Amino acid sequence: MQTDKAVSVSKLSRHFGKFIAVDEISFEVDKGEIFGFLGANGAGKTTAIKMLCGLLKPTSGEATVAGFSINSDTSKIKKNIGYMSQKFSLYDDLTVKENIEFYGGIYGLSREKISDKTDQLISELNLDKMKNSLTRSLPLGWKQRLALSTSLLHDPSIIFLDEPTGGVDPISRRNFWRIIYEIASRGKTVFVTTHYMDEAEYCNRVSIMHKGKIIELGTPTGLKQKYNKTTMQDIFISIIGQN
Amino acid sequence: MRQIFYLVQKEFRQIFRDFSMVRILFVVPLIQIFILGNAITTDVKNIKIVFQDQDKTPYSREFISRFVHSEYFKIIGFEENYNRLSSYLDSGKASLAIVIPRHFQRDIVLKDKPDIQLLVDGVDGNSAGVSLGYITDIVQKYQERLIESSPDLSLQVKNVRRVETEPRFWFNPNLESKLYIVPGIIALILLIITLFLTSMGIVREKEIGTLEQLMVTPIRSYQLVIGKIIPFSILGMLEIMISMGFVYLIFGIGVKGSLPLLLFESSLFIISTLGLGIFISTISDTQQQALFIAWFFMIFSILLSGFFIPIANMPPVIQHITRLNPLRYYIVILREIYLKGTSFKDLIPETLAMATFGLCLFFAAVMRFRKKLG
Ligand SMILES: Nc1ncnc2c1ncn2[C@@H]1O[C@H](COP(=O)(O)OP(=O)(O)OP(=O)(O)O)[C@@H](O)[C@H]1O
Ligand SMILES: [Mg+2]
Repeated sequence: MQTDKAVSVSKLSRHFGKFIAVDEISFEVDKGEIFGFLGANGAGKTTAIKMLCGLLKPTSGEATVAGFSINSDTSKIKKNIGYMSQKFSLYDDLTVKENIEFYGGIYGLSREKISDKTDQLISELNLDKMKNSLTRSLPLGWKQRLALSTSLLHDPSIIFLDEPTGGVDPISRRNFWRIIYEIASRGKTVFVTTHYMDEAEYCNRVSIMHKGKIIELGTPTGLKQKYNKTTMQDIFISIIGQN
Repeated sequence: MRQIFYLVQKEFRQIFRDFSMVRILFVVPLIQIFILGNAITTDVKNIKIVFQDQDKTPYSREFISRFVHSEYFKIIGFEENYNRLSSYLDSGKASLAIVIPRHFQRDIVLKDKPDIQLLVDGVDGNSAGVSLGYITDIVQKYQERLIESSPDLSLQVKNVRRVETEPRFWFNPNLESKLYIVPGIIALILLIITLFLTSMGIVREKEIGTLEQLMVTPIRSYQLVIGKIIPFSILGMLEIMISMGFVYLIFGIGVKGSLPLLLFESSLFIISTLGLGIFISTISDTQQQALFIAWFFMIFSILLSGFFIPIANMPPVIQHITRLNPLRYYIVILREIYLKGTSFKDLIPETLAMATFGLCLFFAAVMRFRKKLG
């Protein structure tokens, strides 16, 4: 299996009892790419991401992430990836600063590095006034940006974002995508799932998942030509409608 | 190692972030010790007693007067009609009726065997047993006096007859139940606090998704477990000291034995409650579930500990089951150290049993936890 790809997936499946949540998916993601993972509710996006992050064992198939096998090398994978789950997963009852300090510590950063990073993140996110407030008091959009920043504390080469913009207003979403672009420009690979078709337009390539299978994969421009549509929204509807 | 430090620091920050935790730590033991210590009592005092004196002689009056002077009894009256005695017991006006038959004095003087009749309200078997014990004691003393004052017995016989049972409860001289129960309450508090905090603490992270977030970091599951155990063990130890402080302030009962030994034994006990807490966290997905299951286990370990129901009174099968219960040993150990000042040497069997089951439980739970996290 090639290791110059950021992610390389081959016939990966996950069953829950008789139910097949992910059904023999195969694809590759280049380094530095923004890869969109689209699909309706229950398509199997989260299940696939969890397998790639080492949170869930595959039923069959193989995948490498940052060159390491998800079947045998999950601890090495964990050092090289960031993950932002569909659920908000910072501690609500810790302050902004304490959250950053905690995750920095868990990732094994030195004390000075933690305090440098904290200052840097807080000024980048404009959270100066809020740094000693409880995280629960932040608006949702800010929480999500903070979660993104903490998942980048250890400078991973690949970052998995599972619906990072669920439930926030368009302006916050736009700001969030600005950060995603900035991350990609630093050479990091971004693997992102979303429900919002306008966000799909921002990706370098997208895959569309339906009932556990990847039924379409390509660049947004390429797909628009193939289906002769002007928006990703229309493409999505016509593909899902066919199936 | 540093990861563990950050986990522990985070845990303490969360615990003391809001005041409710501090309240739980202090108010729970205070209330439990105060209420349970006063309410659960096996002392039997002021047993209400009704007499029927059919003899009405100096001897019978002398016998009755011995009840007047006992703090355990309260004479509520004399009833002439034998048939009406039972109504006293039925209505609860008295829990004990004593009938002194006619010829009581004559039988004593003539060296016949005098009988007295006792009617005891047996609904509360425990109290009934205790009051019978008191009566036996009084009767025995009365008899001794008769023997001593009897003119026609040689000194030799008198001395032989002196062999008597005089119960002397060494470490709890007046058989005060508080003394007996309070160490048990401390054990319960420790069980409750550590069991609930551990299981809820882990499940909470599962619920809000931070556990999953931690699992994508390079942290190892053993570090995660240690990071949870350290804060809750410290809280448990703190809780023990707070409880002992309250016990001393409220009841004036202090620890007779070695405090370090007591803390050592407590830490062995905590291993089992933390293990159980971790186990519960692996079988529940929400805090409600964890609470419910922890409650279930708590009730079982209390019922099977001998705290409320003496183990000797249980069916043999159940008695064997109690041997698997670390709380059973811990309550005994705590009582021994608290009341007698028993040394470690004499507590080795209990300590070994408690530690063995505690460690088995703990390692089984941790294995399961690690497997669950994948
Ligand atoms: N632990 C599990 N046990 C059983 N079924 C599961 C489990 N996890 C997920 N599923 C099922 O697998 C299917 C795919 O779920 P998944 O969360 O991967 O979908 P998704 O594409 O992320 O959906 P959404 O957009 O709602 O987040 C769903 O039908 C879900 O019910
Ligand atoms: Mg999902």
